[in-house]
Amino acid sequence: MFFPLLCLFSLLPFGLCNDAKNKGVINTNTGTLQERMEQLLELSSRRPIIRFNNKLFKDLVRGSPRNYSVIIMFTALSSHRGCVVCRQASDEYSLVANSYRYSQFYSNKMFFGLVDFDEGSDVFQSLGLNSAPAFLHFPAKGKPKKQDNMDIQRIGFSAEAIARWIMERTEINIRVFRPPNYTGTMALLTLFGLVGILVYLRRNNLEFLLNKNTWSILAMFFVLSMVSGQMWNHIRGPPFVHNSQSGGVAYIHGSSQGQFVLETYFVMGMYGMIVMGVILLCEAGEEKVDPGFRRIQAIAGLCLLAFFYSLLLSVFRSKAGGYPYSFLFK
Amino acid sequence: MSGSVVPVLGRFSVEKQESLLKLSILSISVVLAFSTRLFSVLRFESVIHEFDPYFNYRTTRFLAENGFYSFHNWFDDRAWYPLGRIIGGTIYPGLMVTASTIYHFLNSLNITLDVREVCVFLAPLFSSLTAIMTYLLTSELHSVGAGLCAAGMIAIVPGYISRSVAGSYDNEGIAIFCMLFTYYLWIKSVKTGNIYWAALCSVAYFYMVSSWGGYVFLINIIPLHVLVLMICGRFSHKTYIAYSTVYTLGTLLSMQISFVGFQPVQTSEHMLALGVFGLCQILAFVEYLRANMTQENFNVLFKSLIIIISGIIGVGLGVLTLSGKVAPWTGRFYSLLDPSYAKNNIPIIASVSEHQPTSWSSFYFDLQILTFLFPAGLYYCFSKLTDHNIFIILYGVFAVYFAGVMVRLMLVLAPVMCILSGIAVSSSLSTYMKYLDSSNQQTKSTSKVGKIKQDSSSNTQKEGIAYIFVGMITFFLISYTFHCTWVTSEAYSSPSIVLSARSHDGSRIIFDDFREAYWWLRMNTPEDAKVMSWWDYGYQITAMANRTIIVDNNTWNNTHISRVGQAMASTEDKAYEIMRELDVNYVLVIFGGLTGYSSDDINKFLWMVRIGGSTPEGAHIKEWDYYTPSGEFRVDSEGSQTLLNCMMYKMCYYRFGQVYTEGGKPPGYDRVRNAEIGVKDFELDVLEEAYTSEHWIVRIYKVKDLPNRGSR
Repeated sequence: MFFPLLCLFSLLPFGLCNDAKNKGVINTNTGTLQERMEQLLELSSRRPIIRFNNKLFKDLVRGSPRNYSVIIMFTALSSHRGCVVCRQASDEYSLVANSYRYSQFYSNKMFFGLVDFDEGSDVFQSLGLNSAPAFLHFPAKGKPKKQDNMDIQRIGFSAEAIARWIMERTEINIRVFRPPNYTGTMALLTLFGLVGILVYLRRNNLEFLLNKNTWSILAMFFVLSMVSGQMWNHIRGPPFVHNSQSGGVAYIHGSSQGQFVLETYFVMGMYGMIVMGVILLCEAGEEKVDPGFRRIQAIAGLCLLAFFYSLLLSVFRSKAGGYPYSFLFK
Repeated sequence: MSGSVVPVLGRFSVEKQESLLKLSILSISVVLAFSTRLFSVLRFESVIHEFDPYFNYRTTRFLAENGFYSFHNWFDDRAWYPLGRIIGGTIYPGLMVTASTIYHFLNSLNITLDVREVCVFLAPLFSSLTAIMTYLLTSELHSVGAGLCAAGMIAIVPGYISRSVAGSYDNEGIAIFCMLFTYYLWIKSVKTGNIYWAALCSVAYFYMVSSWGGYVFLINIIPLHVLVLMICGRFSHKTYIAYSTVYTLGTLLSMQISFVGFQPVQTSEHMLALGVFGLCQILAFVEYLRANMTQENFNVLFKSLIIIISGIIGVGLGVLTLSGKVAPWTGRFYSLLDPSYAKNNIPIIASVSEHQPTSWSSFYFDLQILTFLFPAGLYYCFSKLTDHNIFIILYGVFAVYFAGVMVRLMLVLAPVMCILSGIAVSSSLSTYMKYLDSSNQQTKSTSKVGKIKQDSSSNTQKEGIAYIFVGMITFFLISYTFHCTWVTSEAYSSPSIVLSARSHDGSRIIFDDFREAYWWLRMNTPEDAKVMSWWDYGYQITAMANRTIIVDNNTWNNTHISRVGQAMASTEDKAYEIMRELDVNYVLVIFGGLTGYSSDDINKFLWMVRIGGSTPEGAHIKEWDYYTPSGEFRVDSEGSQTLLNCMMYKMCYYRFGQVYTEGGKPPGYDRVRNAEIGVKDFELDVLEEAYTSEHWIVRIYKVKDLPNRGSR
């Protein structure tokens, strides 16, 4: 099981200064339910996610009575905070909010809001939050329970996860509508377009398409990339290299179950060198070129072959425990 | 490789010496292919391995005893209770038919082998045949020398051995032979353009279809070959005859397999073949017209024909797809094209370890030097491009892609690796051997008198390099042999039904718990008892214990499996409801905590939770309830309460709290998870322990009856 590694942005140092000012202000400033609903509806008609500051939050979210629940993201979006995770979370969150805003289940039972640390540090203070982003649910009745604080450590903050959590807490089902990602299709179309133009421009001379050397290099490159496990990288998405806790960098994964991206490039390079060695040797056997050059070719091929083969063996040996064979070096 | 002369055999003519050499090399490869697969038989006994082979064994026995028609109409009520399964229509019967034919043949000769023995040794036998077939195919593609090299390589390549050791009685064992056989006949028919070879090829294709679902690869690679030939302008009458015959006959024949049915004309996997067939006809027709018309008329006709035909095809395909006549890509095949499809969409596919992608180390592990001889072979094929070389290049490139996506398709890659590496080794060796071959040199120098001077100057240095090169290749081949034997012996020869481990003093301990427990079920439970277990063990239970099971390895019904997953993941009283609903009498779990057997049910448990929670009935089962707050999967006292109270946990760890497993550790220490279990003293309410095998690997519980009076 894989858990997204969150670099939670710590807000503790900022929050401690303005402690005493707001004691006892909660629930004092109460308008009627009618007024609050009108205000909320007006705010939410402007944008799906309502931005709360200290005062608005106290009025609309903590004030009672309420007949609506509010989902609030606590975050720190301003650029000088440098919270990358917050921005990602915010994107996902607005996806959910937009899906809700334009869905058939949209009602005034639930509102989406956000509190930015720079606008509502008092709110952070009063709720005892010291990290962002955080998602809280304020139910219509009663106090927020433990489960009303979404556990992003465990379930992540993808739009789907947020929607599922909202479903659990409020029983309002939001089908997340992700705007389809056209970049892949566009890239493909551009590529095909370019190739098409190229072919059209050179339509009188299409020999290069049937040139077997081009295809042979392409095929060999493809085979080498497959054999060195690039497909595994594509599906599993391993890290580039492993930065261990002590500060060292591991380039080779310790077991044969896994691999790093850089490692596969190494392996691809080694395979490439060995193949080149074999091909050089074969070419040297042909009787077309001059003998001196052929000899250099043959010796170079042999050296490449021997050196990189033994390197490959020793890399494999370090991964597969108990592998008994090696050549030239351990 | 090129007919080197052995002096002892000087009495025979050169041709006879050559054929003797060929024959002996080939027969050595054949014997080697058979014998290297016998490690497990020698170490343990002749048992059938793993899971699927047990089903195949059971059906083969049924076929051998009852004949083909009752096999074809067989409705199996022992599996998927209460649904049952129509066996005849849901399997590829080639393997069973082959085995039972061999069985009947041997018995008619009064060689009274048991069905089981035939099953155990079928895969090694067919591997030997594969070696011969590789020789034939490679000789047809390149040269006899390359064929011999390839035959020797495929005899011991681990990527193929992994699926064909003695006792691994599975479709793949014979399918690779069928596949190479079909390719051989295909190359023959493309070379000769003879309907005779093409018809034979379609019969071989029929055998392939009847034995393995992987025939889809074959029915795509052959049309692709034809298509590439067309693009290269190499399309000829020979290819036309070969493909038209193979496609029509082969498709008709393949539709006779009831599991395949109308798929060859309906599903998208087969559409390439159909499309290329149509293209063939059009191309042939166009050639015919061109020969009988003036150029201008022809051009007009050609343009209008292209527009009309592409229009018709486009509209037709659209209509068929929209109306649902043409099935969309099926899940298993889709997961090959878009590698992340299955992982995200179908937990039951993602949970099978064979469907994982292949890392570079497992490529190396399974193929060793072939991984870099293969590109060299490709290079050779490209440098001498012919119709049939194009085929092997295509086969190689596509096989390497599919093997990268799914580790079990390494099997399809291994033969082509051997063929191309054989070509590489043989052609580079024959380049250099001629410098070492003294007799050859003399004949050559006498024939080219003018070149003697030039030759002799370069030949002495050439000879040195040639010696080194030959030595190098010999070294590589020897290291390949050692590697393959080591891999076979260490990794691929454990039957997994009988486990073995080393004790402290180095002696071997055998855990035969599975067979012990299945035998107990067979002898001590009523004939019609229903056993619930996770699907992995379904085939083994029906085959060895002969009892009805709820789900098995043929994972055709996701909701049914999910129901079992829910039972395992629920608390006792919830699980009891499900078990009553499924009419379960016994529950069987695999537990490795005492022995350290790591692929037990607790380690598979998260998959049960995921699959259990993937249907609406199991929506209350959520994966994160089974983790600790910090996201770990733990069985000790810090584990999540949901986990510690679920059925699976209780069944595995019942009475385990009183057992000492390792010195210096408290009782109830789980040796797989390396933790002391969280809950030690508990009683089971709805189950009672019926049997626990010697090393606790298999634990069987009896489901208690409803109480006679009211609530318990």
